[in-house]
This record gives sequence, structure tokens and C-alpha cells, in this order.
Amino acid sequence: MRSWQALPLVTAAVWLPALLLPLANEAVASSVEVSVVDRDAKPVAGVAVYWRLPDGERQVAISGTTAVMDQVDTRFVPHVLVVQTGTSVQFPNSDTVAHHVYSFSHPNQFKLPIYKGDAHPPVTFVESGLVILGCNIHDNMLGYILVVDTPVFGITDENGKAQLTTGDSDGELVIWSPRIRDGEEALVKALVPTGNAAQQVDFRLGKALRPAFDEKTEALAWTGY
Amino acid sequence: MDRLLTLPVAMALLLSGEFGTADEPSRYRLELGADLSYVDTNGYPSWAEGSAGKLRYDSDSDGLMLSQAYADYSLRLADTLDMHTVALLYSDDIGSTVDFSEAYLEWRPMTLTENRYRLKLGAFYPRVSLENTGPGWSSPYTISSSATNTWIAEEFRTFGTEFSISRKPEFLGGSHTLSLQAAAFYLNDPAGTLLSWKGWSDMQDPYLAPFREIDNRVGYYVNGEWVVGTRFLLRIMHYDNRADPESYEDGQFGWRTKFDHVGLQATLPGDVGLIAQWMEGSTVWGWYYQGVRAVDADFYSGFLLLTKSLDRHRLSVRYDLFDVSENDTYPLDENSEYGEAWTFAYQYRASDFATLAVEWLQIETYRDAWEYFGLEDEKTESQLQISLRLSFSSGT
Repeated sequence: MRSWQALPLVTAAVWLPALLLPLANEAVASSVEVSVVDRDAKPVAGVAVYWRLPDGERQVAISGTTAVMDQVDTRFVPHVLVVQTGTSVQFPNSDTVAHHVYSFSHPNQFKLPIYKGDAHPPVTFVESGLVILGCNIHDNMLGYILVVDTPVFGITDENGKAQLTTGDSDGELVIWSPRIRDGEEALVKALVPTGNAAQQVDFRLGKALRPAFDEKTEALAWTGY
Repeated sequence: MDRLLTLPVAMALLLSGEFGTADEPSRYRLELGADLSYVDTNGYPSWAEGSAGKLRYDSDSDGLMLSQAYADYSLRLADTLDMHTVALLYSDDIGSTVDFSEAYLEWRPMTLTENRYRLKLGAFYPRVSLENTGPGWSSPYTISSSATNTWIAEEFRTFGTEFSISRKPEFLGGSHTLSLQAAAFYLNDPAGTLLSWKGWSDMQDPYLAPFREIDNRVGYYVNGEWVVGTRFLLRIMHYDNRADPESYEDGQFGWRTKFDHVGLQATLPGDVGLIAQWMEGSTVWGWYYQGVRAVDADFYSGFLLLTKSLDRHRLSVRYDLFDVSENDTYPLDENSEYGEAWTFAYQYRASDFATLAVEWLQIETYRDAWEYFGLEDEKTESQLQISLRLSFSSGT
């Protein structure tokens, strides 16, 4: 009985490396740990991190790639979403009230009709850039979608860290957050691949962060005033 | 609202709302609420009975009653055009009354620009209160409103239009919003009557008619607002009804009332909420007599409220201050007063439909005019109120 249960595991152990082998041959993956700290060396969570390909090269997502920007408690969840160019983003509405979502960010401008639930097809972002989301019914709702020309991206966790697996060519690591006030030069670092050896890239911000937007507080009513 | 609209209109509005399907939002939102209250009062007979007391109730009305009910109804006429109506029912010693407190259209054009524009048209409260953010102008913190906002509810309504322009937060660093409102209105010439003749009080009086146009002069207010996320809000307003103080029509006088208002709301460390408002101004009425008008009074009022919410519980404390100082010299018409009040409130949200509230309120007032009634000119009144609020909402 025991040996019968172990059989699939043994099979997987044989097959998995074989499946991964072609990928490894195609591009030597380089593991990068990115760390973002503020000027007081405290970790910053929620920072978008992505790998910018050299020479303006664009990698568009394969058709059918999807992501979700939800609306919960009259907030966009997540506050910052990173997607690859070509991704179709769904905007479900988990609230009982209706929302009227829009973006006025060129070239990704759109208006969704007023809706509840999951009433309409997703929005496909074919151009890279920052998409700022608002709701015409709830003036204080604000969210961001960062559309990037690469499949290599992440968001820093509560320790200010994100793990990326980059390709084997030279490129740049870029960070972005609505809270960061530092100039462009502090947000980009060149990245030279080291083969399979793991790399650590640290960003230390020079300017104080803007206050976090989506702090939830129960102390006072902040709508309807 | 001076019975501008009637109950049948409300019923027609309610019936006009369509019910939406799961994904299609309905075109209306209805919020209903009713307060069952037990009141125990210690003070002068209530001003609602034409007497001197600061409180809405007096010992005659101690006991259990349906003290207030509201119907707050919004109908979406088009994607960017909403209609809001609020009907209130009040009960006290002198009976019950149903009235509309607000009825207006709001246009929210969706502009793909850095600014946001809003336009209101109809009858609505000026942008003053930071307390009365709940449906039907209720406060999420206490049962009784501050003296400042009670006066706003009693005597101020903008029959006119308010234009608002605000900078979207993403153009001010993500969490800041700056906005500016300008309003032009009619029908608020008698504003100031109550303050002078009754003084400050704790609850709206539904039996006055402060919403009349007597002199055909348009009043205005301008308000600036700065909001930082859910941490900080500051608003500053200048209000002037531009009434002609010598005008008179159908027993109603024009009162020239001006004030400046500053409101501040902040979330303090420990998630303690703070609301503070301060208002300062003057009201004048009548012809000149010995160099001043028949009634010429300066007033100020303000309050500080601290509130803390823990799960289903909320504790709030408020300190109120109010003052009217008369400059006129008419004998036997002394309207000056000064007072302070403390309010302690506890709320327990038992469910989405029921909230239990207990509130103790104490007002200490000095008012010379009370001597005409043969009363002491200094009086401390107190009121214990236990209230069960039942609320219901539907639509989106």
C-alpha cells in the first residue's frame, strides 16, 4: 500500500527536471532578490519591481493572460497591480454598491459602465505605461495598474523584498510606487546577469515617502462629508 | 424644509426605483432608519414648547418614544446624474411632523482631466458639518448633534446651486485632495432668528420657516477643503446670506447673517478620531436705533469631539462651547448668552440593522433673558437618552 502511494512522487521526481530542462537551455535564468528600504533603512512594502529589457525590447504577454483588479470596501484591491503588456485585466466588483471605474491615463484611457458584480468583459492593455484608476461614484477611490513590456515583475512584501527571475541578457531593474518621491535616477539599476548565481540588488530611497493611501481606519467616517 | 415637498412625492419617488439584477446595479438606493428612545431630562421646559430650555425634551416627555425617523433616497437618473431626497420625521412633546430636509440633483460629469467637477442644484445643507455624515443627517458618533451643527440644520439650507472643483489626488502626490466650492442661494434670509431669540440648542426645530426669500438678494458661500487620505481633513468657509436687515414680508424678517467656519477632522495615533469645528459671525436685523440696529449680535460656537471604535463598540466624548453677544441697546430684549456642554456617548452595533446608544448630555447656560420668565439666568440642564436605532438599506 505504501509503495503504491509513493509511486506518483517517484514519477514526478523523474519527470519534473526533464520538463524544466528545455526552459533552462533556452535562457539562463538569473535569480535576483530586490530589496527596497526608505531613507531610515526601513523596508518598503507594495513597491512594483520589474526588469526592463535592453534596447527598448518589448515582450508582450501571450494571448489569454489575465489579471484581476477587484473592488472591495470601496477600494481598489490591490492598490498597485503590475501586468505585462497584452494582459486582460478583469474588474469584478465585490461590493454591494455599484462602481463606475475609469482611467484617464494616456494611452490606456477607458470608462466602464456603472456595474455590480462581474458584468462586462475585461480590459486588455496593449500599451505599456501607468494606468491610474478612479471611480466616478466614490471620489476617494484610487488604484494603479503598471503595464510593463516584460514578464519579469513583482511587488515587494512586508520585508521590502521581491524575488525575480530575469533572463540572461543585460537589462535594468526598475522600481515604482505612488509613495516614492525620489527622481528617476534613484529608481533604476543596471543588472548584468551572473548566470545561475543569485544576485541581491538594494534600493535605498533618499526622500521621505508619501503617506500610504489605503490605510484603513475605523476611527471616523470618511465618506459622505 | 418649510414643507416644500410632501409625503406623496416621496412615495412616488420610492415607487419609481427599479430593482437591478445580480450584475446590473439598481438605479436607486434607499436608507431607512428609526430611533426608539427613552429620555430622562432635568431642566427647563423644552424650547420645543415655546419655553426656555436648551433641550428638545423636558420632563413631561420622559419615557419611551419614537423620537426620529428618516428616509434617505437616491435615484440615478442618468449615469452621471443623481437625485437625492431626505425625509425626516420628528416627534416630541408637541407632536410629530414629517418634512423634507434635503432635495437636490447632483451632476457628476466624468471628465478625463486632472480636475473633478460637481454641480448640485436644489435644497441642501451648506458644507459645514463633519458630524452628520450618516444617512438622514444622523451622526455616527452621538445621538444629539453639537450646538454648531444643530443650528446649521435648523436655520440653513441652500436653495440654489453649489459648484465644486477638486484636484484629483494622483496629481497631488497620491493621497492629497484639494477642492473648492462656491454656492449661490436664495431663500435663507431669516437665518439668524433662532440664534438670537432662542439661543443655541441641541436638536433641530421643525416648526420654523427660516427658508424664505424676502429681499431678492442672492446669498453665497465659498469653501476650501484639503483632505489627506483617511488621516486629515481641513475645511474653511465664508458664508453670507446678504439679506437686507430692513426687509420684512409675511411676518418674516430679513436677518443679515455672516460667518466664517473652520472644520478639522483627523485620525490620531491609536486610531482615535478627532473632529473640531469653529464658527464665528454676526447677525443683524431691523432699523437703526441709537446708532445700532434693533438686533445686532455676534456669535461663536465650536466643539471638540474624540471618538474611538473597537469592533462593535464606540465611545465618544464632545465638549461644546457657544456664545451670543448682543451689541444693540433695545431694552427688554436681551439675547446674549454663553454656554458649555459635555456629551458622553456609547454605541453598540448589535447587527447591521440595530444599534444601541446611550448618551448623557449636560448643558450649562447663562442667559439674561431667562430673568423675564422669572427664571435664574444660570442653569445646568442634563439629559440621559437611551436609543435603539433600527436601520435598513436597499439598492446600490
